[in-house]
Amino acid sequence: MTEQNNKTLLPRGVDSANFEQAIAKFRKLLGDDNVLVKDDQLIPYAKIMMAVDNAEHTPSAAVTATTVEQVQGVVKICNEHKIPVWTISTGRNFGYGSAAPGQRGQIILDLKKMNKILHVDPELCTALVEPGVTYQQLYDYIQEHNLPLMLSFSAPSAIAGPLGNTMDRGVGYTPYGEHFLMQCGMEVVLANGDVYRTGMGGVKGDNAWQVFKWGYGPTLDGMFTQANYGICTKMGFWLMPKPPVFKPFEIKFENESDIAEIVEFIRPLRIAQVIPNSVVIAGVLWEASTCNTRRSDYTSEPGATPDAILKQIQKDKNLGAWNVYAALYGTKEQVDVNWNIVTGALKQLGKGRIVTQEEAGDTQPFKYRAQLMSGVPNLQEFGLYNWRGGGGSMWFAPVSQARGSECDKQQALAKKTLNKHGLDYVGEFIVGWRDMHHVIDVLYDRTNPEETQRANACFAELLDVFEKEGYAVYRVNTAFQERVAQSYGPVKRKLEHAIKRALDPNNILAPGKSGIDLANSF
Amino acid sequence: MNVERRTVLKGLALSSLAGIAVTSSCLSMAGSVLGAQAQPVLPTLVLVNNEVAESVFLQGVNASPGGKQVKVQRTDLSLDFILGFEKRLRSGQPQRIIGLVDDASAALIVDLARSAGARVQWLGQHRATPHASQHRLLSAEAASGCAPQLGLSLNACGSGFSLTEQRMHSLQAPLQASATARNRDSSDQWAATLGYTLAALGTTSDRQAPLIARRPVPLTGNFVSFSIEA
Repeated sequence: MTEQNNKTLLPRGVDSANFEQAIAKFRKLLGDDNVLVKDDQLIPYAKIMMAVDNAEHTPSAAVTATTVEQVQGVVKICNEHKIPVWTISTGRNFGYGSAAPGQRGQIILDLKKMNKILHVDPELCTALVEPGVTYQQLYDYIQEHNLPLMLSFSAPSAIAGPLGNTMDRGVGYTPYGEHFLMQCGMEVVLANGDVYRTGMGGVKGDNAWQVFKWGYGPTLDGMFTQANYGICTKMGFWLMPKPPVFKPFEIKFENESDIAEIVEFIRPLRIAQVIPNSVVIAGVLWEASTCNTRRSDYTSEPGATPDAILKQIQKDKNLGAWNVYAALYGTKEQVDVNWNIVTGALKQLGKGRIVTQEEAGDTQPFKYRAQLMSGVPNLQEFGLYNWRGGGGSMWFAPVSQARGSECDKQQALAKKTLNKHGLDYVGEFIVGWRDMHHVIDVLYDRTNPEETQRANACFAELLDVFEKEGYAVYRVNTAFQERVAQSYGPVKRKLEHAIKRALDPNNILAPGKSGIDLANSF
Repeated sequence: MNVERRTVLKGLALSSLAGIAVTSSCLSMAGSVLGAQAQPVLPTLVLVNNEVAESVFLQGVNASPGGKQVKVQRTDLSLDFILGFEKRLRSGQPQRIIGLVDDASAALIVDLARSAGARVQWLGQHRATPHASQHRLLSAEAASGCAPQLGLSLNACGSGFSLTEQRMHSLQAPLQASATARNRDSSDQWAATLGYTLAALGTTSDRQAPLIARRPVPLTGNFVSFSIEA
């Protein structure tokens, strides 16, 4: 239960006196301007897209820190007064919970002001950044210094940041698209205030922190991702050298039933690194939304959009039912060889219409997809939020093997479940080396209470029906963290809680994150 | 005079019961303050997307005290707009930014306001059809009275609407108000009244939101409104 007195929303288990004392200490440590308790300061932290009441994710306060020492100070105060603290970096985790805390009343530690690019090495192709650094900031730095490097980022590219995206195990669209794979070295403030550096970071005088991941003994970086065992204050990662030739292309497929064949066509090319980047297979509504198409342009009827309309949109906007985006990178000779392999394989497949950059020109969505695959920030994908309108968005993201039959099964299951609840399948597959991230944006109208309830029920049912088939999501919004943790079984949860008890006995760091909360009975 | 939340609500219910015939928007409560207290008038930027720019929302803004001095800018999802907006937020110049835009633009604008440390007094989600409008509002003390005022005005004009207002950190149950349409010509009134309400927030209001004549194509669809102070 969240505590509440007559004046103030309080964190769970914290009385008014302790809260006020903690706020006073935060002010002394951080300065008045960095302790936000007024309602108009907190409203922007409370904008959620999940199908639950705003009140469930309302913070009691937000504090901003600018140094590691201040983060240590915040942790100390939180321990003294048992204040639960939800940390954000840029807070742009749209679709997975945004900047709002996981539980009502938690205070937010906003690290947006820790935004220094600490180091970029153009020869070793590495970077070290603080939590508040955005991809746009890093892109500008690379451009200003004319460095031969390329970024990989998620679709909200310009305003999201590499540290937060990697800590949530997000993905991008270049050959370095599996972001956690490219992470190298972390600095973490632990709940007891210690500053721990992973990999080579603890060695006095070391300069290999950003080039050798493993260090000596247990390698713990992964333990801090999607977790609440520490607060990451620095992160190193690898950057891709900018290739001399970049050749993006699209392949349009006419029918929804083509998905299995598309995946079978792509997988060998992807595993062999002929196509080295995280390929996207985008459904028609994902594509339409990102080229400024709105549902209301075609129908005002409630419920799921009929297939006949989807076909009409496909025709009107010159889209495929599935639209594959990939790119080749390297020297001209390398790209030419790989292009021949790709076009040869497509010829063998006997379906699919290939579109090159020269043919597409500046048309959307090709343009923004090509930008994402070459590390140029843009915000075009925000168009998704206008498809249905109303501000509701929850990303449902199950993973699967990169097999045609699996993708076919998942797509059919998702569409059937969404349509049953009167919602649309707006989805894409992102092809990893051997896996598929199936990303579905559950879009709904938050101005409509009935539709909001329906979206919540739909999301819950998606988790249930996918679980029955042996699937689980790799990431989820904060309203469903506990439910998703259940999918991964009790042994994992017992271990996670044992680690939590050892590292954070006062349960101050983001209780509830990924279902880890010492208030649970594990 | 301060607008008492419960008083206005009571008034709204009574008006509804009485079925008052309306000849003006009734937004004028002479000498009243929209918001907790009168604030110095700040330079105001009005953000609108293309659809809203062609609507009566701006008529409402212009009818407010100081409404003639506002600057209007159209939004889009381009990096140029976003980076320019971010620069403006961080300029250090005290300013107000109000607007009515699409959901995608709003997601960006509100979050940029957060990261720039701006204050948000009002965040509204709106859905309008030719027959009625729905308003889901999240507001701060600084905007107290604005939501009831909006509801009161829409009711007085005979617009069909439903409105929910949640107040940050408030113990009160969310404000809920609704009315069925009594005037078929008022389908666009919500946008003008909203524009007036946002522009007048924090000012002493002695004018009226303009009554809007029926337009062939009213503003319909989903929108987000905001009042930001940087």
